[in-house]
Amino acid sequence: MPALQLIDVSKRYRSGDEDIVAVDHAALTLGDDEVLALVGPSGSGKTTLISIAGGLMTPTSGRVIVGEQDITDYSARELTRFRSEHIGFVFQTVNLVPFLTARENLLVVGELVASGRGRRQQAGARADQLLEELGLGHRGTNLPSELSGGERQRVAIGRALMNEPELVLFDEPTSALDTHLGEQVMELIRSEVKGRGTAAVIVTHDHRVTRYCDRVVSITDGRLADD
Amino acid sequence: MFLALREIRRTKARFILLAGAVGLLVFLILFVQALTGALIRQFIGAVDHQSGQVLVYGADARKNLEGSRVPPTTVERVAAVPGVAAAGPLGEGTFSVRIGGAARDATLFGYELGKPGAPTTLVDGRLPRADFEGVASDGNSAKGFRIGAVIHLDGGAHTIRVVGIARDANFSVLPTVFTTFTTYTQARLDANPGSRVVFPSAVAATVDPGVSPETARDRINQSVPGVQALTRAQAVAESPGVASVSESIGAVVLLCFFVVIVVSGLFFLILTVQKAPALTLLRAIGVKAGALVRALVAQATIVVLGGLVIGTALAWLALDAAGNGLGARVEAGSVVETGVLVLVLSLLASLGAARRVLRIDPVRATVPGGLEA
Amino acid sequence: MRNALRELRRRPQRFLAVTAALVVLTVLLLFLGGLLDGLFIGATGAFRAQRASLFVYSSDANDSVIRSRIPAELRAQVESVPGVRAVGGLGVSLLGARVPGQQDLADTAVIGYERRPAGVPATPPAGSAWADRRLEAFGVKLGQTLRLGPRGIPLRVRGWVSDTNYLLQGALWVAPTTWREVQNASRPDAQFAPGAFQALVVDTADDPATVARRIDDSTGGSTNTLTKDAAILASPGTRQQKSTFNGIIGVTFAVVGLVVALFFALLTIERVPIYGVLKALGTTTRRLVAGMLLQAVIVASVAFITGGLLTYGLTRLLPARIPLLLVESRAITTFAGLVLTAAIGGALSLRRIARIDPVTAIGTGT
Repeated sequence: MPALQLIDVSKRYRSGDEDIVAVDHAALTLGDDEVLALVGPSGSGKTTLISIAGGLMTPTSGRVIVGEQDITDYSARELTRFRSEHIGFVFQTVNLVPFLTARENLLVVGELVASGRGRRQQAGARADQLLEELGLGHRGTNLPSELSGGERQRVAIGRALMNEPELVLFDEPTSALDTHLGEQVMELIRSEVKGRGTAAVIVTHDHRVTRYCDRVVSITDGRLADD
Repeated sequence: MFLALREIRRTKARFILLAGAVGLLVFLILFVQALTGALIRQFIGAVDHQSGQVLVYGADARKNLEGSRVPPTTVERVAAVPGVAAAGPLGEGTFSVRIGGAARDATLFGYELGKPGAPTTLVDGRLPRADFEGVASDGNSAKGFRIGAVIHLDGGAHTIRVVGIARDANFSVLPTVFTTFTTYTQARLDANPGSRVVFPSAVAATVDPGVSPETARDRINQSVPGVQALTRAQAVAESPGVASVSESIGAVVLLCFFVVIVVSGLFFLILTVQKAPALTLLRAIGVKAGALVRALVAQATIVVLGGLVIGTALAWLALDAAGNGLGARVEAGSVVETGVLVLVLSLLASLGAARRVLRIDPVRATVPGGLEA
Repeated sequence: MRNALRELRRRPQRFLAVTAALVVLTVLLLFLGGLLDGLFIGATGAFRAQRASLFVYSSDANDSVIRSRIPAELRAQVESVPGVRAVGGLGVSLLGARVPGQQDLADTAVIGYERRPAGVPATPPAGSAWADRRLEAFGVKLGQTLRLGPRGIPLRVRGWVSDTNYLLQGALWVAPTTWREVQNASRPDAQFAPGAFQALVVDTADDPATVARRIDDSTGGSTNTLTKDAAILASPGTRQQKSTFNGIIGVTFAVVGLVVALFFALLTIERVPIYGVLKALGTTTRRLVAGMLLQAVIVASVAFITGGLLTYGLTRLLPARIPLLLVESRAITTFAGLVLTAAIGGALSLRRIARIDPVTAIGTGT
């Protein structure tokens, strides 16, 4: 079962008098542990595309299927719930809540999914396990301001994996990191994603990143093309 | 100015909230001041607006005219004090009267014709020229106190005809009638048939040219036993009801000003901190620090002016709607004074924000992340 | 919700501004309430203490005890009205008293009474009085002899009572004969013959309003009888003070709402990026708003405690002339009002939070 299917997806906006086509008849299928790089210049529609794939936005036309669920016609409330249970996000700039420790940042997602004391304890255990796996076992009680750039990125990745999503979306995961750190993070992403059978879409304009991906798709003026 | 106005226009909500808060506080300040002013006028306007520059109460009176009595000999003794130009008895009392067919309470002030104690704010008609004529305080025409009206004293034997109207001349929140001391004495005897002698409540005195009322007051206190002399202003301000009201309201107004300082000062500080990236950018591209501070001052001024308009309008409406029988009104002087104070205080309070603006280093625009909040 | 608490704990400086503003507003609210309560309690103690259902005044007195006059014959008529269980006379003289060793006169209300009010012992012997503790502020001590009025009528302080004052003047509870002596000596124009009082307090087992009507009817309209509550409210200035002060207090609460709305709006602006992220992760608007409301309530509570302590300290510095009294019930209602208006003010950010689009979390800067 594919992790993601975009079937003839388009997104159109009205801007003043003009009709802007941000995504133009996009078709994409992602296998359940496939790592996909999405490259394109600014304004190409990458943000819109992954917003639609991640259930942050509804397409104007076409269908969006994540895992087993067709989320095309979900209401905002249903999408919110869906994201908390099935999607992971690692954002480009703001990722972590500045006044929560690394562990608590992971639990933000954990608490969305788990209710009741038993489940919350489960979430806690999962958070500890993820931090351990990401090499942050000893940094769980540190605030983001006390962590290095690379460590912060790893916490974000841990949070993205907390709810055992079908799909994780990475927005420019290496843009704030130097080459060496960037490579480390990409290696981590690949091993985590593959190891858990989770699919990933990595938005990037850094071509070094594409080395770690199974497939590269480019987007220009809203249209997709395999690279 | 351009920056200041643009920001206000684009982010109206927060400035409106601040103007609203300032406006309500200005409203409170103006409202309580108007009420206090009216209360004081209603309580003691008659004393404030009579011709005696010094009032001599009984020592036991505790600065309260109603509780004051002086022996008639006090009048000559006060008149004999150097610096006193003239002195006359002043009688004050609350009486049940009949006017326009209805029973009412009224205060009578009795003074000797030609001596101090006459009303000073005549706006219609004339002063009494004979006994059983009187000048009534304004604002009581609905109760029948008009020129030509006849006031029936208790006991039914005597009447007072209203020949003049004086502004802001109430006493004890009652319609007040200035009449001759003889008329006043008669009213007392009518109300208390058992009484034999009527003492004046106080002595009203005027001072010689070149002598201040304070000097005359002090001399009277030194040379006349059993009395407490006060200047007219003192008699008003230190009258027991007035003093505690003024002080209490003064404290309330002070607290309101304090809230204005805290709220507007902190608001502009927070706003400046939030805008720091934008301000850094502006400085980097060449906008002078002074211009940014001027923009801040402009915003503070606009907000205060907005609040002042809101507050004044609300105060005016509230006093109007309260149908207030006290005659409370928003005085232009009060508005200007409050406005100036609020503006000055708000500007002082935004000094913190101004300092922050001046500390911005335009170099930070070139540093990675320097333009982020 | 827990994260909202964590933010409060770990980033307290963010909330400093709104807390500071609310502290000052709390002081203002407690001050206003304290003034109102002080004025009311200090003006009406003598009446509230009466163990009677009705107060009888002469009809020309305008419901003022000082202006009223009930001669003995009128009292006899009242006593014979069916339903009247007991009648007591009441007379009040507002006078200055010379206190030994003190320069300033004390403001007193010399009250002649027959029926014991709550908290006041039976009428003392002639020439002595039960003094309200309010007079301690004027230097009055137990056993002292005060000199009342212009003639200096002596009155010995026999014991203390509390909360029995009239029109903010310290009460001196005396036997009727003593009262008449003091009144007649001080007010030559308002003499009272033996048996005459200014007002009567009436005890009844029947419905007070009915008995009141009966009394006034039977005296042919010479009396105006009020229930105890009406008599208390009729005390000079009471009604106007209440409505004025309550109006001012209401406006102050509105300021609280606006100030909280303002500062929480600023806080929300700061949090937009992180709210965007949280929403993208699946946090609902409801959760975010609930967390924010919790913060508003906690901030208001902390401000109340701080403001309350400050106000208490301030009252110690105020001159005795300012009739401020901090009363428990006022503190409770102020707290409740503060928390409620703070929550409402915070809730005004609801729309802004709802409008935050989770999409904004993605791709900032490029």
